[in-house]
Amino acid sequence: MTTSGISRRGALRMFGIGALGVAGAGVLGACAPSGAGSASGGGDTKSKDFDFTSWSLNEEAARPSIEKIIKAWEKAENSTIRAVSYPYNEYLSQLTLKLGGGETTGAVHLDIAWLAAMAQMGKLADLGSVAGSGGYTDVALKSGVYDGKQYGLPWNTGSIGVIANAHLLQKAGIKKHPVTVEEFEDALRELKGLGGGVVPYAAATKVAQLKDIFPWMQTFGCTLFDGGKVTIGDDASVDAVTWYKKLHDRKLIAADVDRFDARALFGQGKAAFYDDAIIGKGVTSAQSKDTTLAGAMQPMERPVLKAGDTPRALLWGGVIAIVKGRGQDAATEFALHTTTDRDTTSAYFAARALPPSTTAGLAAPEVAKDTFTTEWTEKITRTASGSPFWQFAQSAQIDEAVAKQVQAVLVGRAKPKDAMRKAGEEVSALIKR
Amino acid sequence: MTSTTSSPLPAVERREPSAARAGRSTRRRVRKDLLRSRIAAWSAVVVIGAFGLLPVYWLLATALSTPESVFRFPPKLIPTDLTLANFTALAENDQLIKYMINSLIVASITAVLSVVVATYMGYSFSKFRYRGRRSLMHLVLASQMFPQALLLVTLYAVFSSFGMLNTYTALVLSFTTFTMPLCVWMLKGIFDTVPDALLEAASIDGASRWRTLHSIVAPLAAPGMIAAGLFAFVRGWNDFIFALTLADKEKQTLPPGLVSTYIGEFQTAWPQLMAASLVVSVPVVVAFMFLQRYLVGGMTAGSVKS
Amino acid sequence: MSTAAPRQKEPPPRRRTEGRLSNGAFAVLLTAPGLALFAAIIFYPLLSAVFTGFFKQDLRLPGREFVGLDNFAYWLDGDFLTILKQTLVFTVGATLVPFVIGFALALALNTGLRGSGFLRGLFLFPWVIPGVVVSFLWMWIFNANYGVLNGVLVKSGLIDESVAWLGQPGTAMLAVIVTKTWASFPWMMVMLLAGLQTVPKELHEAASMDGAGAVRRFFAVTWPQVRGVASIVLLLEFIWNFQHFDTIYVLTGGGPAGTTETFATAVYQTAFNGFDIGRATALGGLWMLLLLLLVAAYLRITERKGDA
Repeated sequence: MTTSGISRRGALRMFGIGALGVAGAGVLGACAPSGAGSASGGGDTKSKDFDFTSWSLNEEAARPSIEKIIKAWEKAENSTIRAVSYPYNEYLSQLTLKLGGGETTGAVHLDIAWLAAMAQMGKLADLGSVAGSGGYTDVALKSGVYDGKQYGLPWNTGSIGVIANAHLLQKAGIKKHPVTVEEFEDALRELKGLGGGVVPYAAATKVAQLKDIFPWMQTFGCTLFDGGKVTIGDDASVDAVTWYKKLHDRKLIAADVDRFDARALFGQGKAAFYDDAIIGKGVTSAQSKDTTLAGAMQPMERPVLKAGDTPRALLWGGVIAIVKGRGQDAATEFALHTTTDRDTTSAYFAARALPPSTTAGLAAPEVAKDTFTTEWTEKITRTASGSPFWQFAQSAQIDEAVAKQVQAVLVGRAKPKDAMRKAGEEVSALIKR
Repeated sequence: MTSTTSSPLPAVERREPSAARAGRSTRRRVRKDLLRSRIAAWSAVVVIGAFGLLPVYWLLATALSTPESVFRFPPKLIPTDLTLANFTALAENDQLIKYMINSLIVASITAVLSVVVATYMGYSFSKFRYRGRRSLMHLVLASQMFPQALLLVTLYAVFSSFGMLNTYTALVLSFTTFTMPLCVWMLKGIFDTVPDALLEAASIDGASRWRTLHSIVAPLAAPGMIAAGLFAFVRGWNDFIFALTLADKEKQTLPPGLVSTYIGEFQTAWPQLMAASLVVSVPVVVAFMFLQRYLVGGMTAGSVKS
Repeated sequence: MSTAAPRQKEPPPRRRTEGRLSNGAFAVLLTAPGLALFAAIIFYPLLSAVFTGFFKQDLRLPGREFVGLDNFAYWLDGDFLTILKQTLVFTVGATLVPFVIGFALALALNTGLRGSGFLRGLFLFPWVIPGVVVSFLWMWIFNANYGVLNGVLVKSGLIDESVAWLGQPGTAMLAVIVTKTWASFPWMMVMLLAGLQTVPKELHEAASMDGAGAVRRFFAVTWPQVRGVASIVLLLEFIWNFQHFDTIYVLTGGGPAGTTETFATAVYQTAFNGFDIGRATALGGLWMLLLLLLVAAYLRITERKGDA
């Protein structure tokens, strides 16, 4: 037998067997995710048992209080809730896979940034008929809307902003929060001077949370998306990234940091500033052994380019959406109860420092008199806006595309100008897809 | 390939007289050589040992540390405040135990399925000659090279359309894609070492072909089958990509289970994560210690002589 | 299918179905379960995947659209060469480094050190523990802020300031290779040791008496004996590394700035994070094409050797 004879025959046989497989398993097209059509609507919508999927169940600081809500509901309704969780950074892709495969039912906790992506899969129920009875604030209610339909009941509505460690600022002799980017940079330099491995600003530098760069781009004057056009790549966005790179090169921000690293650093008293949602206070202080840290955490207006500019912040929040099908009705009731019941939201606030989304809940004395929360609302949420990319199903991919380009700049693989131009092109392409 | 054990021996004998003539000086040199090789050997063992085992030490040291003590820089190389709390916390974690049971079930079934199927196939490849045999053999061997990540994309779609996501079946079938080719290869190697004369004798004695395989050849090849099974088990136990994608919490195995348990907040839970890692490794390490001999024998059977 | 002479003698006709099957048919029957399985879970999915590469398809949505070679062009005009280069760097590095280490250790253990059996068992630990655990462990060792590697290096004055090993383009790939090396050198050591143990001691002694130095002895006596095992070990490891996923995905996720992206992580992330299975399978198809060249090379080598 000659070599070529064998490989040719081997190749032919491979095709033969492949064809056999094709004939056996059906037309090639059958491998399209037909689950998309079949899985939804199946199952008993009246079932008392359902699933509840939330990334918070995966986080030590949040799990007990959510488990308490679940236990209480199970007891009152004599039903069983299956609690499911994925880590936040993996959540969107895992949930998409499981929802596509028809494995996810019941109630799902969603970051408002993901609502469009999940809603367009066609498996979420329209909650328009129940949302009205919840007494949600208008802003909150709007965060659960995609394409004119109410897909999510708002659980928490807040923003992502900068948190400062008052102890460290004091140590470095910084008397008041920096107002402009320039003052901010000076403050960072002072803080760096403290030594002892202090990371002045534990800004995100890993892809997972580099979307934190968006408010900075806005601070420098980039609109991100304007009149149907992507503006990433304009001079303002390049300036923002150039500045970020400068902080990185001077070690005022650290490499290889995501939200969780930042919280750890801040919790250890090794970071003076970091970006987080309002939820950060509960999470970060809970994992710190320094009991005075919670008192030292201060919400700070994001520095602006010129004094007098409006500080930028990203709206942030969680909604509970309901998957059509098994347990749909009970899950809806559960979601409504979890997000609107006064006692439940107050207990949840007490445990996690996470303000509720209803007018009544916000007016509850323990919420209204909490200074961190009120300050946060005043300084950060007041001027916060949603990302213009949230309306697109590809919003997570858009965030990632930009994040990768920014990271390329940070590690020195690309020039800010080229990287931002490329990011802009990629985002435009993603929007069209 | 060629058996070299027989030819060199006479050569040694032939040289013997010359060595004797050289006398003491040669012996001294040989002894010096021996000493030098001993020193070289020990230094290699020590250096590589440091690379191989210090991380294991660090795994253990971190697992025994308190959560706060690991956030110290530079870290203490010998931890002082030891605790078993990280391990007791694991014992209370039902979900991790569930992952472990899933892993056991899926890896075991994968191992059995792969070995059974591969035994027949390997036997056919080893002891029969027919047209297309070689092409088939090559195809099976080459299928190890097919990219798993690509396979996964369509397997996900196929399992999804059959409603098979999040089932043990889906996991076993997907694990088989990488265990079976290797098992076939290993078992063919084992069967190659069974002398044909034995089969002929069995045939003359009137044993049917099935009986020859099942009651004469299989017992002989048992160590190899165990080795192949063990190999499949370890690969199945260690798989990450398939279980991550094809199964949900209910049916997920340990590796993706660990990721989803700790990766969200791993920065703070290093000691716990290390403790969990250690516990997860124990079953395979123990299984391995007992069956090491078979595994090494089985893996090398096909290759050492060729 | 059953013409070539079977090695087994045709048995005398006997009970029931037995006699009705020719040896060839029997042999084919033996392969049937395996082949059915292969067809269903390997060949069909692969062919189907290659086919999907010509479509624009979102994992989350039903339906697809034929786009010809667009998806392939997307990669070839974009990151294909970068990914290829990085995949090769990883594959070659993670194959050769553990090979050298494993070989050195095998040679050392083969000199009959006291307790070498125990040592062999001990060294296997890194290979047996799950790949994800290996990644976790090294992720902790390489940790930028609290990692022990930085700790030791800073303390000993070799570096002034902690290094973000996994966060910098150059060091990230190095870290990934070191991690993979740690996990695979034991396996190579075991295989090579088994090979070395077939080398008769007398050969060494004879060569030594002839005055051959250690290096010459290695090339004249040892290497020819273990070449077979060595090439198989290298080949298998190369194949496995070429599609390795776990270590890179857990340690760096292909980052920073895509500098540790390989075919495996790129295909996975395009399909399951980007949900673009058209592009994912197109990249997979290109990858397959490269692999087919490898397979052809492999066949040519094994054919020339004329394996049994």
